[in-house]
Amino acid sequence: MFGVHNLDAALSRLLTVGKRPTLVAALYLLGAEAAFLVGTLSDKIFAPFWPPNIVLFGAFLAAPWRRWWIYPVVVFPVHAWAELRVGMAVPQLLVAFVTNVAVAMINASAVRRFLGGPPWLGTPRKASLYILITAAASPAFVAFPGAFVEILGGGPVTNYGTYWTHWFASNSLGAVTLGSAVAAWQGSNRSAFKPLPSHHRAEYILSVVILVVASATAFQFAARLTIGDFMPAFLYAPLPVLLWISVRFGAKGASTAIIIVALVLIIRSLNGSTLFVTQDSETNVLSLQLFIISLAIPILLLSASVDQARDAERSIRKHEELITFVATNANIGFWQLDLATDRLWLSDHGLAMLGLPPEREPSLRTIFKMIHPEDRESIERSMQKAARDGDLRLNEFRCVIPGGGTRWFLARSHPSCNEEGTIVQFSGFFADITTQKALETEAEIQRNEVAHLMRISMLGELSGAITHELNQPLTAILSNAQAAEEILGRSPSDLTEIPGILEDIGREAARASEVIERLRRLMKKSESKRETVDFNALITATLTLLRSETIQRKITVETNLAEELPSVSGDPIQLQQVLLNLIMNACEAMNAVPPERRVVVISTRATAAGIESVIADRGPGLSTEDEKRIFEPFFTTKKHGLGLGLSICTTIIAAHGGRLTLTNNSAGGAMTVICLPKQVGSLKGAVG
Amino acid sequence: MSANPTVFVVDDDPHVLRALSRLLGAKGYDVRGFNSPNAFLDQHDASVPGCAVLDVAMPELDGLQLQSALSHGLVARPVIFLTGKGDIPTSVKAMKAGAVDFLRKPVDAKELLPAIDVAIERDERARRLSDELTSIWSRVANLTPREHEVLTYVIAGRLNKQIAHNLGTVEKTIKVHRGRMMEKLGVRTVADLVRLADKAGITPREGLRG
Repeated sequence: MFGVHNLDAALSRLLTVGKRPTLVAALYLLGAEAAFLVGTLSDKIFAPFWPPNIVLFGAFLAAPWRRWWIYPVVVFPVHAWAELRVGMAVPQLLVAFVTNVAVAMINASAVRRFLGGPPWLGTPRKASLYILITAAASPAFVAFPGAFVEILGGGPVTNYGTYWTHWFASNSLGAVTLGSAVAAWQGSNRSAFKPLPSHHRAEYILSVVILVVASATAFQFAARLTIGDFMPAFLYAPLPVLLWISVRFGAKGASTAIIIVALVLIIRSLNGSTLFVTQDSETNVLSLQLFIISLAIPILLLSASVDQARDAERSIRKHEELITFVATNANIGFWQLDLATDRLWLSDHGLAMLGLPPEREPSLRTIFKMIHPEDRESIERSMQKAARDGDLRLNEFRCVIPGGGTRWFLARSHPSCNEEGTIVQFSGFFADITTQKALETEAEIQRNEVAHLMRISMLGELSGAITHELNQPLTAILSNAQAAEEILGRSPSDLTEIPGILEDIGREAARASEVIERLRRLMKKSESKRETVDFNALITATLTLLRSETIQRKITVETNLAEELPSVSGDPIQLQQVLLNLIMNACEAMNAVPPERRVVVISTRATAAGIESVIADRGPGLSTEDEKRIFEPFFTTKKHGLGLGLSICTTIIAAHGGRLTLTNNSAGGAMTVICLPKQVGSLKGAVG
Repeated sequence: MSANPTVFVVDDDPHVLRALSRLLGAKGYDVRGFNSPNAFLDQHDASVPGCAVLDVAMPELDGLQLQSALSHGLVARPVIFLTGKGDIPTSVKAMKAGAVDFLRKPVDAKELLPAIDVAIERDERARRLSDELTSIWSRVANLTPREHEVLTYVIAGRLNKQIAHNLGTVEKTIKVHRGRMMEKLGVRTVADLVRLADKAGITPREGLRG
């Protein structure tokens, strides 16, 4: 099976490999026959237009270096047969063959070496190089040996210059006509031209017909009139059509058109009617050749620059299409604001995102009116700031879409400046982030749920301590009341103490209700909110709540709170939950430590970005394994722990824009570090 | 024995301390309040009769530790514990260590006052017993070794003759020792002597046949 398969593959490979040399040989023959058909010079051997060289050039251009040898081998018999048929002598034939192969090889290798890659005539620079190599340098060089072909055929050595010119002109003409067409078509993306719309094709065919007619008839008339004064006018009759074709169809169209002009002119010249009326037809042909060459060169250059421009345009359009596609799919709109005129441009998708009719420039006022009233002020502030420093960022704002409800957006832009450096324009994009916002809200709701559940469970653990906190004021109230009762029941009553007792009762009742209020807040399930939080005060309040817990655990709590601590913005309940959790963790970590060494140190300090609070214990610290996994949900070092506490603390602190880290303390034990950014301004964070 | 027994109240919460002191003061007790266990220990005068009302959970030293610190003297001061939460293991430990009662905060006067009365009564009894023992031990200490020896035989129910035989002397000598011994100890009958010896923890001489 394997072998058969291999054989199959080898066979089909051989067939595909063999296909091209066969084709080249066929084309070579076809080219030679066509050249003889078009016409030869008076010696009936030498053709002014010799396509076989171009066939070889095309084959070399397309084939890898290592396969080049195949083509000379394949075409040699064809060459010999064709030349022998027209009566060329063997030495002549050999020299002609060698020079033909040489010119094709030189052209192909130089083009490949200096032009990089196809499309070979894509830019004016490449087209110029192409012409320089194939129409000037290499024909000139190869004409030196080539001229001997005619001398070998019996021509006088004194005619060497003429023969050289024959060879040079013939090869050069081939290069700018058929050669340029081969170069233009070879290796280019054919599909870019092939599915030409039918009206384009019709236009091209019509242009070619006009070209043929113009070339043929102009020369016809010129030959008949033989009025030298009009000659230049007739000479250039094909030119407008050629220009038209190169502008409309680029290098491929132009090079093909040039072949047609060249063929028509050569056929007519060799058959007697010609513009170039000189001594003999050979000189006429030479003049014609030079004329076509000089006509073709600017046309080729022009068509190359047309191609370049069209390519650039196409790639810009492609990018634009891609950007539009991406923007539409990513739900992004583009905008541009001219500061001098206040004119606002929005991309079509941008307009659609805002529920505005397409292809109508909305006024800045219309857009501004759509912005949610609560966000207007901050947007205005950002715009004013942007006008000063050029940095416009609208982080989150809402727009009321006509018939589409309220949606969340984010916008970014960069400024464009004039020569003086003043900002004249802002351009940027805006994105609909409503879905993202909804997900965030959903996540926040879930986080709040979990945080709330954890608070409840933590309060359950602390219930004993909390009961104690509540019982203290109740004890004071009850004892004070009973003391008063006793005093009042005596006769005579000494009332001096009564006011003090009543005052104490009142104050203790307030204290009790404060404990209850604090508990209620912790137990309540409320949306997280942002308030100004004094972290030191939060620590003190938390320690009050934990007072009897720490006493019972025989833990000394030391605090080292910074005086001038910046306030943070956050949800006091959730932040207190974090503190409760972390302090409780610290306490529990010291269960196995002798009571006199059970110390929790809580400190705060101001940092450049905000605040840092450290909760350090003197417990056994964390093992390396613990340290790695401690923040994972459901990881716990406690016997009865759920393993959710720290992960919730991390989530809460992260939601506050801060960071929670847990490491070993160099003095022994573990320490938790809470970093929180300081509160900036008092705005509610719509625009940052 | 002073007319008004003192109640020592120890609670780290100043408001609770003041309220409790007020209540007990109004009820006619001499109250001395301390807001830290160490302050109480520093100033504690074991000779002052009365009882202590202690909060179980306090920084520095908790109620149980304080209780054991108070028990070092000859007379253990009766203790009533107050607790913020009904912690059964702690209450069991406290009661085993001789606490009079273990009351939950907020404590009602109707529970606290009877407990204090029981505690004071227990303190008085203990002090009475302690005084009596002190006097007995000082009298026993006055006995000569021979008289002490005779004492152990007498309370074992031996006759003078038997004692004399056991000690290798004559009955008359024993009679003299016995008379002096009874006089020094201030008892007239053998029954009184037996009760005194029992209180003083003197064991009768046993295992002898006479």
